[in-house]
Amino acid sequence: MKLTDNVLEIRDLVKDFPSVRAVNNVSFDIKRNSVHCLVGENGAGKSTLIKILTGAYARSGGKILLNGKEYSPHSTKDAKDKGISTLFQELNVVDQLTVAENLTLGMEDTTFGFLRKTDKINKMVSVMNSLEPSIRPRQLVSSLSVAKKQIVEIAKAVATESDIIIMDEPTAAISESEIARLFKIVKGLRERNVTVIYISHRLDEIFELGDYVTVMRDGKHIDTKPVAEIQDRSELIRMMIGKTVFEAYTPKKDPSQETILQVRNLSNHKLNDISFEVKKGEIAGFYGLVGAGKTELARAIYGVDEYEGEILFKGQKLHPSPNKVIEAGIALVPEERRSQGLFTILTIRGNVPVMNMGKVSRHGFINAAQERQVTLEYIEKLRIATNSTEKEVIKLSGGNQQKVVFSKCLFADADLLMLDEPTRGIDVGAKSEIYGIIRRLAEEGKSILIFSSELPEIMNICDRIHLLYDGNLKASLTNGYDIDSEKIIHIVTGGA
Amino acid sequence: METKQEHKNTVGARLSNESFLTLFMIGVLVVLFGAACAVVPNFYLPQNMLNLITNNWFIIILGIGVTFLLISGNFDMSVGGVIALTGVLSAYFCQGANVSQNALANGLGLPYGVAVALALLCALGIGAINAFFIARLKVPSIIVTLGTMMLARGIGQVITRGAQRNTSLPDVFGVVGNIAIRGTSIKISVVIMVVLVIAAFIFERMTVPGRRTYLIGANAEAARLSGITVGRHLTFLYLTSALLAGITGILLASEFKAGVSSRAMGYEFDALVVSLLGGVSIAGGFGSVLGMFVGAVILSVVTTSATGLLLSPDWQFTLKGIVTFIAILAQRFALDRRKG
Repeated sequence: MKLTDNVLEIRDLVKDFPSVRAVNNVSFDIKRNSVHCLVGENGAGKSTLIKILTGAYARSGGKILLNGKEYSPHSTKDAKDKGISTLFQELNVVDQLTVAENLTLGMEDTTFGFLRKTDKINKMVSVMNSLEPSIRPRQLVSSLSVAKKQIVEIAKAVATESDIIIMDEPTAAISESEIARLFKIVKGLRERNVTVIYISHRLDEIFELGDYVTVMRDGKHIDTKPVAEIQDRSELIRMMIGKTVFEAYTPKKDPSQETILQVRNLSNHKLNDISFEVKKGEIAGFYGLVGAGKTELARAIYGVDEYEGEILFKGQKLHPSPNKVIEAGIALVPEERRSQGLFTILTIRGNVPVMNMGKVSRHGFINAAQERQVTLEYIEKLRIATNSTEKEVIKLSGGNQQKVVFSKCLFADADLLMLDEPTRGIDVGAKSEIYGIIRRLAEEGKSILIFSSELPEIMNICDRIHLLYDGNLKASLTNGYDIDSEKIIHIVTGGA
Repeated sequence: METKQEHKNTVGARLSNESFLTLFMIGVLVVLFGAACAVVPNFYLPQNMLNLITNNWFIIILGIGVTFLLISGNFDMSVGGVIALTGVLSAYFCQGANVSQNALANGLGLPYGVAVALALLCALGIGAINAFFIARLKVPSIIVTLGTMMLARGIGQVITRGAQRNTSLPDVFGVVGNIAIRGTSIKISVVIMVVLVIAAFIFERMTVPGRRTYLIGANAEAARLSGITVGRHLTFLYLTSALLAGITGILLASEFKAGVSSRAMGYEFDALVVSLLGGVSIAGGFGSVLGMFVGAVILSVVTTSATGLLLSPDWQFTLKGIVTFIAILAQRFALDRRKG
């Protein structure tokens, strides 16, 4: 069979939802054995497009040709059978089974319903071995890191001879060194006759990995280009949002000398003798790889995890319990906004005031009008895209959900805000809005701690940068024109 | 300015899912009631309508505690056992001391008021055990409350030697459960039930602790990180549920003037069923006391009309099962339709 040049051809694709056209006449081609990146803000239509490709949504109009043949999957399994596998953000592996069992999951050979050992498993295992020899087939999947679980899924897709693997933000939850390994594997997939559709908010990855890039905005196809023809990040960002949003750090004119937080010799199961100070109005960043102890540090200060050592806030010792810490004037935007930050089945009004119910109630009785007023205030202040205070939070986009978490913490009237991965999984536009909010808060005299694994984020907005490696505070630098990102990377990867 | 206008216009315009479901279940109730009036003789009589509510006062009181716990994401299966325990204890505490050769006729001889107070304290003890294991040790609530369900009833059985205590009780023991409002057949128990439902409604809709219950059920981890003391609140809910069951136990014992160890068998399931019929989510974070009340009346309409149609009582369970299935399917259908 002669293979076409384009593995996938999308023609005039349309998807209508009751109130909105999410995909609007989109046409583009995907070249065989390439890494094709798909970028756009949240709501640009890329998720919807992917859901059509994986069979989760039915299209409203248009055509899709896979290997030159009409393609219309009716389920994820059907899409897989026809040659399109997907690496979802929520990985599709079963923790309690072994690697080998996961590889053959759903395609086991059976006799009268009993499992049979066959060659299929050997083939799977050899593919996986060639991708990543350190994963053993008998290992339980629960013992693998997120990155290695992804590799198991990739191996499964390769072994079943998928034409296309769709990867939806595969690097969102893995560390820098694991990213490097993943990239090596993704690049190697070309030789195995696999095309990758790669979705990421981290634009640097597109330049490193992509052969082609398709930009979407407001449901429309803006452009598809070879990555080599794109000059730099800002050109890509301009295509995505139509204006430049990248801002570099400008040092503060007159930093305050008043110390608000003192952490002395903090140690626990993960952290090792950490000491630092934070001034009033300062934005302090904690940077390190995944597993360096950023989240653990935030949780210790917040009183969620136990610790030894001393934490003084405004000169008072902090009582290690979240409700006391919040009362003292500290609020946390947690790492996982859905599982830790939000009450997703409740409305925006149900979420915004929860950290300070005393402010919207009297003698324990809630003042409904005041509650609604406060919610409206924050919807306007943080520009949350909604038509009602009564909308369930689960129906908002990621960026707007994060703004609800911010509203919650701001309403707590905290003087110190801790932000754990504040822009994870958020599109560029919402990101720059959130940076704007952070800067504004610091100008109002609030102190901010940012825990992030994205160096550009730390370098863009933080006045002081603390570097963590394996539970230790390795260095504390003052941000400025002369800050050296190579040196930072050197330190957080374990260099002396 | 334009966006501001938009917010103002839509604020409050949208009915919450809870209110929608309650209205929907009221609709179901009206339809069922109409059907029952059409086919069951004498169903439309005012006295019968009143009975639909008054004959179920105990399930509704239990339903209040069970509903709030379900909203918080937890079960309470111990309420039936607590009814038996408090009923038996209230009898034992105020039976005359050393009045008979028969061990079941001898009690502690305490005044009725003291007996009631002590029995309620024991009910709270069961609630405290629930709270300790669930809120402190994080044991799944279904396991713990199934344990205390049997523990409470078991103690009742020991005290009554597997039977009941109904002799040498002072006359005052039989008063509170039997007196009615003057000129009507409405018992004090029913009045207590109505007061409790109104109080629960106010608690649910208007107070901070009421809101907390939903927050914990919607996401216990986020609630903790938002400064809510989850364990303390669950303890409060379990103590309340046990107290409500204890009050029910006292009233039922008084009504029959006996402490019976097999009293209220299966009531924990009835309380669960009426909550679910009322749209309370078994996953937590969703539901209302008003819905539970409507659910209780629906169940009552169905069982009463079955009796009226001369269906043998053996069919009651089957009928309850079928109604539960249909009602819950109808709810799912209605909620899914609404999502679009």
